[in-house]
Amino acid sequence: MVKARFHPLDRKLLRDVWRMRIHAAAVALVLGCGLSVYIMSVGMRASLERTRADYYAAYQMMDLAADLVRAPDRVAADLQRIPDVAAIETRIGGYALLDAPQIVEPASARLVSLPLDGRPRINDLAMVRGRWPDPAKAEEAVVSEAFANALGLEIGARLAATIHGRRHILTIVGIANAPEFVFVSAPGELFPQPERFGVIWMGRTALARAFDMSGTFNEAIFRLAPGADSRRVSAAIDEALRAYGSSGAYGRDRMMSDRFLSEEMKQLTTMAIFLPAFFLLIAAFLVNIALGRVIATERSNIGLLKAFGYADIAVAWHYAKSALLFAAAGAMLASIAGIILGRAVADIYRDYYHFPSLDFSADAATFAGAWAAAICAVSIGAIFSVWRAVRLAPAEALAPPRPANYARASGVSSALAVYLDAKSRIILRRIQRFPRRAATTVIGIALAMALLVVSGAFPAVMTQLLNVHFSVANRQDVTLSFAAPREIAVMHAVTRLPGVIYAEPFRADDVILRHGRHEVREAVFGLPFNARLSRLIGRYGAAVEPPPAGIALARALAERLEASPGDAIEIEQVSGRRIEARIRVSSIVDPMVGSSAYMNIDDLGRLFREPDRISGAHLALDPARYGAFNAVIKETPALAGASFLRQAEQSMRRTFDEGVGVMNYLYIAFAAIMAGGVAFSAARVTMAEQERDLATLRVLGFSRGEVSYVLVGELFVLALLAVPLGCALGTLLGIWLMRLFQTDMYSFSFTFDPGGYAFAIAFTLACVAAAAFVVRLGIDRLDMVGVLKARD
Amino acid sequence: MTQVTSAAPLPAFQTAALSKTYGDGPTAVHALRDVDLKIAEGELIVLLGPSGSGKSTLLNILGGLDRASSGEVRFHDASLVAMNDRALTHFRRRHVGFIFQFYNLIPSLTARENVDLVREIAEDPLSAEEALDLVGLADRMDHFPAQLSGGEQQRVAVARAIAKRPAVLLCDEPTGALDLKTGVRVLEALVEINKRYRSTTLIVTHNADVARLGERVIHFADGRIRVIETNAARVPPSELKW
Repeated sequence: MVKARFHPLDRKLLRDVWRMRIHAAAVALVLGCGLSVYIMSVGMRASLERTRADYYAAYQMMDLAADLVRAPDRVAADLQRIPDVAAIETRIGGYALLDAPQIVEPASARLVSLPLDGRPRINDLAMVRGRWPDPAKAEEAVVSEAFANALGLEIGARLAATIHGRRHILTIVGIANAPEFVFVSAPGELFPQPERFGVIWMGRTALARAFDMSGTFNEAIFRLAPGADSRRVSAAIDEALRAYGSSGAYGRDRMMSDRFLSEEMKQLTTMAIFLPAFFLLIAAFLVNIALGRVIATERSNIGLLKAFGYADIAVAWHYAKSALLFAAAGAMLASIAGIILGRAVADIYRDYYHFPSLDFSADAATFAGAWAAAICAVSIGAIFSVWRAVRLAPAEALAPPRPANYARASGVSSALAVYLDAKSRIILRRIQRFPRRAATTVIGIALAMALLVVSGAFPAVMTQLLNVHFSVANRQDVTLSFAAPREIAVMHAVTRLPGVIYAEPFRADDVILRHGRHEVREAVFGLPFNARLSRLIGRYGAAVEPPPAGIALARALAERLEASPGDAIEIEQVSGRRIEARIRVSSIVDPMVGSSAYMNIDDLGRLFREPDRISGAHLALDPARYGAFNAVIKETPALAGASFLRQAEQSMRRTFDEGVGVMNYLYIAFAAIMAGGVAFSAARVTMAEQERDLATLRVLGFSRGEVSYVLVGELFVLALLAVPLGCALGTLLGIWLMRLFQTDMYSFSFTFDPGGYAFAIAFTLACVAAAAFVVRLGIDRLDMVGVLKARD
Repeated sequence: MTQVTSAAPLPAFQTAALSKTYGDGPTAVHALRDVDLKIAEGELIVLLGPSGSGKSTLLNILGGLDRASSGEVRFHDASLVAMNDRALTHFRRRHVGFIFQFYNLIPSLTARENVDLVREIAEDPLSAEEALDLVGLADRMDHFPAQLSGGEQQRVAVARAIAKRPAVLLCDEPTGALDLKTGVRVLEALVEINKRYRSTTLIVTHNADVARLGERVIHFADGRIRVIETNAARVPPSELKW
């Protein structure tokens, strides 16, 4: 009964599609790959955005924050009176060095006070388990979930902490997350090392006592009224807190956690556009190839339909429908794969970003977008072929086609033909005679190769970044940060720490840099001449000396300031004496990580009128005395933190491997589908068109191998033509993508990696060879008699 | 001129109880049934019969394009039945020239290049110029198939088939798509080659008039040889009419 409802033409359509099923599968797979990434990226971005918004709203995420040296509690009332401040909370914050027996190195923690009167009204905690600390019990603390999990800390566990030079034994009563700590990394570190850095929340009284800050606060956080002008409010806050050593109010854009989330979303958007666009293009090519062939073989049917009285539009619709079926199959595949991919990515994100819950969901508009894109792509691919069907006059369509006229294509090849055997001439002339189709195949294969070049470039760029950052720029084993700036004389004590082979001081100041109408808040580092451990990087990843005079800017910073060497820029300390000065830009440097400013350490001390003050030291350690070194610094109160370069490198490599590694396999799989799909479709079409010629060659006595040469040779010539194009295209795309992915935290530059190109070329050619091999099997099944007796 | 009136003492082909069946069960088609035949070297034979009578099937089996279901086929002292695909390819390559109704030229090669194609795999071939000259196309050598008329294309096909001086020339409806005048030119070429190179020539046709140029005419019906006629008075192609 169902059958009766089908129009005979629709039944023919289904049979046609079944005949084209391999082409259809290729189109659907390619669409599925590209659009699943689209659904994943757009859905994941929306999920992150929604989850972040919900989390921020439910737990009262701050809009503005200000760090200061110390202000009496009564100032809070002044802050509350600032127009558009909806809520304000003051806190005591700081850092503690932790002595966790689970790890050799000291861990550290960000300390945050909890209000005296119950839960925070801003930056509330999402308690995972346990309870809030009892204000009467100073030792009770809540720790962040990732840290607790990394160290296996449970409710009731004890933790030794050095706070403000005194040792405390804390008892863990709760494990929680907070909206301001969705992403947690130690100061100066770009990647989370949850076993080495966490957040600890303690009662206000306990922390006030520990830091000798009773009756005062050093952090203020704000929620603004809807529609508030945050710049104006920031200015008012700065005014109110200027006397208390505030380094200036800042918004979410400068909060590490939120900034990382925003960067992630930006990259998801890039991904939502880049990869799918690539695949849609390929899908259009494949449809063009497949439908073009069908319409060529259906000439007489088209003539017949028209002779029966079907209108051109009905004929066009008949053939367009098969392309739309491809699109539907691809979009369906993409919808399912997109959800699976989205869930997998959400799993990765859950380890990385600490939300109370993070689930992938894509809305109807996202799916509709994917379906619309699939339909658009196949329609573009189908339009030329369908147009050919429309243009075909019935009488002409019913007559057998004339043999393709190669006379027009013989110009160049005739000159070349002298040097070739007849089989090679066939290959050459076909490419010359059907240049558009050959170009389609070349471009399709080149696009797949470009995708591989790009995916190969990512690990190369990362390796280059890590090598330069950890082997050229930062050769120290440990960087110690002092709790407060110290005199240079402290270096004597530092060099006497167990295992220290060599020590090098540095100074770091938070500053505001201004040039023209641009203003950037960054850190300026003071480095000694002839530094052996922490060094500046110039162009091409080589170490350079700090400028003999003036200031060197990281390239990204110089771009943001629109400053070039020779320009004078303003520099202002954001804390301490808030000294303002003008200084000349002496050079541009290219650090791989971060985008700071750099000066000679003595110049920087003189500039801020604090000669011989240092912020910390880079150390080279004797590995044999690693344990002894750590045992001492775990109990050194003057230290705010110790950054272990090998651990940082490992965590950075791990993060890259997880993120880039997974993406890379995905890219390779996608490129294989793309290259295989294009090569397979092209080979099938060549096979179908040349069936008669190939059968003729077999009849004349050519062996299967010799006949295969004609079929496979054409494909390989096209694949070889695609090699330079694919490499060039991949390089351009890589350079463009690196620019897109560039942030002020990393500076990626495209790295030419011959191995990556070799892999891209070899892998693409292997895909082409596999496709050719499968199609070549058709030669074994050639029905010589049947093909030769049939008229074209 | 030697007039062959019966099977010569040196048969090029010999078949015994040759049968070919397509499919099986009730839908099986018996294309050939128990064909016993001897064809002498250098003989020009016309296979005549309505379509589906088995003449093309026999031609394809003799040419190594198809395999017998049962029975024996020998080319000189070699059994085609025992040959594998590679050996059959070699057999076609060395000994057989084919000519089909629809020419089957490679459209991307010129007339000369189409002939060159077989010269590449032949042992002692004619030059392309000689072969094309034989069929009267010396002045069209550098034309592509699309630039030639049907008759010219078929003559290129003949030139291509004879360029390797094949022992056997198998022609399936060589004039089927041609008008009388061009058809006659093609047949003249075939007869001339048979005479000059002593190629054993089989021409399949359903045109009774064409049969008049064969030394023997084998009539097919329903997969069997109905009768074998010996032509007492062969007619040159120029006197044929259809």
